[in-house]
Formats: sequence, structure tokens, C-alpha cells
Amino acid sequence: MVKSYFATSLKEALEIRGRESVTPYAGGTDLMIEADDNASYLFLNKIPELKQITADDEYIRIGAASTFTEVYHSELIPQILKDAVIEIAAPAIRNLGTVGGNICNGSPKGDSVLIFFATDSKLRLASSKGERILPIKEFYLGRKKLAIQDDELLVEILMSKTGLDNYYYKKIGARNALAISRVSFAGILDIKDGKIMNCMTAFGAVSDVVIRRPELDGILIGKTIEEAKAVKEKYLAAFDEAIVPIRGRVSAEYRKSVCMNLLKDFLESNGI
Amino acid sequence: MVKFILNGEEVTSNANQNERLLDVIRNEFRLTGAKCGCKEGECGACSVILDGKLVNSCMVAMGSIEGSTVMTIEGYSHTDRFSVLEKAYASVSAVQCGFCIPGMMLASESILAENPNPTEEDIRRGISGNLCRCTGYNAIVEAIGIAAKEGKGLW
Repeated sequence: MVKSYFATSLKEALEIRGRESVTPYAGGTDLMIEADDNASYLFLNKIPELKQITADDEYIRIGAASTFTEVYHSELIPQILKDAVIEIAAPAIRNLGTVGGNICNGSPKGDSVLIFFATDSKLRLASSKGERILPIKEFYLGRKKLAIQDDELLVEILMSKTGLDNYYYKKIGARNALAISRVSFAGILDIKDGKIMNCMTAFGAVSDVVIRRPELDGILIGKTIEEAKAVKEKYLAAFDEAIVPIRGRVSAEYRKSVCMNLLKDFLESNGI
Repeated sequence: MVKFILNGEEVTSNANQNERLLDVIRNEFRLTGAKCGCKEGECGACSVILDGKLVNSCMVAMGSIEGSTVMTIEGYSHTDRFSVLEKAYASVSAVQCGFCIPGMMLASESILAENPNPTEEDIRRGISGNLCRCTGYNAIVEAIGIAAKEGKGLW
């Protein structure tokens, strides 16, 4: 019989992960849809180190096994992430599902994943041999292909503490509750003294991986709103070329036009 | 073997760690109030309260609940809060076929435990993971509002 493991500390979990071939189980809401009697799960849902939400000088540090409900209720969490997690599924799923599971499921439709992309969040991965920190963009290699080693666990998500207040977020689904995103978009425009200090955008549920193109967002950085208006067409044209949607439950054409509409609305809502 | 507390009693299940909590409470413990509607976490018919939070028991592997507390509709039915909700549901005919009702009642409990004075919007969001194909929801929403008024002080 295949054995599953229930770990009560991160150290114990990493030892098991290094020794056995296991599937990490955080909230279970994705795994249990295709419940596999022969799977060897490593249960992570009661490990205190994976459930903490803390802040240091630079980052908000979110334990990977924090549920969406826990994230929503934490005072430390930036509003952009709260807006996204409260729209995920329904209360009973948010009480189980975790941000770490959302990331490690590898789907470009993960609603919290989009926000971690848009905010250039970093991931802290650990094994019993050590740990490393990776920008989320480098963690996603392709559809369901992640840069995680067989002996590693995602421990924390590191989110910037500042510059996230002026944001735009929209999820397009077939209905309000229990809806998988058909297109999702998040944009952040950090303006100081009339100047765009930072611009970060991300498109979810469009391609194999969330689309995040900092070099294109760079077109607007350092500009005033008036200067940004002058390069608006160039900026939109660059994204028009960069966004190549794949056909899923909805057509590629639909996805493309919704993406461009959201991007334009993001700019217009900022007077650009 | 998994040890947990089920409706106030410490129990040990012989189930495999990968089995769904839903199957175990129905088949091993013969508590058939929780229903299996979809096995995808989409319908809420299998709702139970796990460590104080509403969850879909079809989405919970037994190995994850070592030491946890589970309350099913059977355990909840002995409480004063249940009596208030039961009367409120009956008073507006919020129940037709009944399949969704064990889950609806526990979702109602979860809404009121979090906020004893919910707005209609709070109620609708609170039951947004529980599908009902008979009543069209309005009677259920009304019943939860009535329970909030009639059960003042209980939540």
C-alpha cells in the first residue's frame, strides 16, 4: 500500500520530501478533484512555519500553506491580493485552498498567482540541504512546468511592502462564484510627484504562463502622465504584439480583445 | 489510522489517508446527512465544519485531519442554533427536495458565526458555494435573515 505522510514541522516535512517520492498536499482542493488512491501525499496543512504571515523591513512574508481565508483576514496583506483572493471560488474552498497550492499547481489561471506576478513577488524554496529565493517569473517554466526540485518545498511568498497601493484588478469569469478565470488582469501604477515610478502589469488565463513583460511596462516608467499619453499607442502596440492567447474554453480572439480592453481601461483609469 | 473528533466524540478511522472525508463519514460512520453531489467542490452538498470552518468534505483527504474537529449536520442538529435555523427555513418553505439543505444549514451557521447581523449581500456570498436547484435561493436567503433576528444572542 502506498503511504502518505502527515508532517507537523517544516524540518520533518523537508526530511520526508528529501527521502520519499511524495506529492505535497497543502489545501487539497486541486488534488482531490482527481483523488488518487495510489498517490503518496505529504500533508503540509498543519505546519506552523508554513502558515505564518509576517512582515520584515522589505517584504510581507506569506507562509505557503496559508489559506485564502487566512490571507484575506490578515492585516498585513496588501489590498490588491485581498481583492483577488476574495473572488476565488466560494467560502468553503477559500477555507482550504492555499496560496502555495495555487502557485505550485502551475496553472496560468491561478487568481492569487496573477497578483504575485504583477507585484514581482519572490518565492522562498527550501530543502533539507538549504534554501533559495526565486522571482516567481523564473519559477514558471511552462504550462505545469515549474522550477521546483524533487526535494524542495515552497515555504514562503515574499511580497513587496510598498508601491502597491494604486492598482487595478479585474477577473472575467462566467459568473461570480466558483468561476475559473477566463481572463484576468492586474496592473499597478506607482506615481510619485506626478511621475510614474513603476508600472507592473500581468495577464492571467491567456497563455501557458501568466504574461508579465517588465521591458514593455518600462515604456511608461519615468514619464509624467502627459508624457505617458504621448507613448500610449506605442505601449499598447507592444502588448498587442506580445499577447498571443491560446484557445481554451473561450476563443483566442475573445481573450485577446478582453486583454487589450483591460489594459486600456487600466491606463484610462489613471488619466492616460 | 486517523484520530479526530467527530461531533464531539474522539474517533479513530481505519480509512486510508487518501480517502475523502465525505466517504468516511458516510460509509464508515454512517452519517449520511452530508451528500455527494459533484466531488469537485462545486456544489456544497457535502459541507461540514472542520476546525470551525465550512469546508467541502469531498475535498479533504483523511490524512490531513489528524487531531482535527469535524462537525456534521447530525452533530449540529442537537444545538439551539440549529433549532432556530430549522424553524426559520420551515417558516418560509425554504426546503424542497432537501438534498442541498444539510450543506445549506452548515453554510448558514458559518455565515452567522462570522457575523450575527449579516446583510443580504453577506448571506448571498456566504452561500455562494452551495447550489440549490429547487428554491431559487430567495427563500433560503430570507430564512437566514429570519434566523439572525430570531436567534439574537445565540451567535
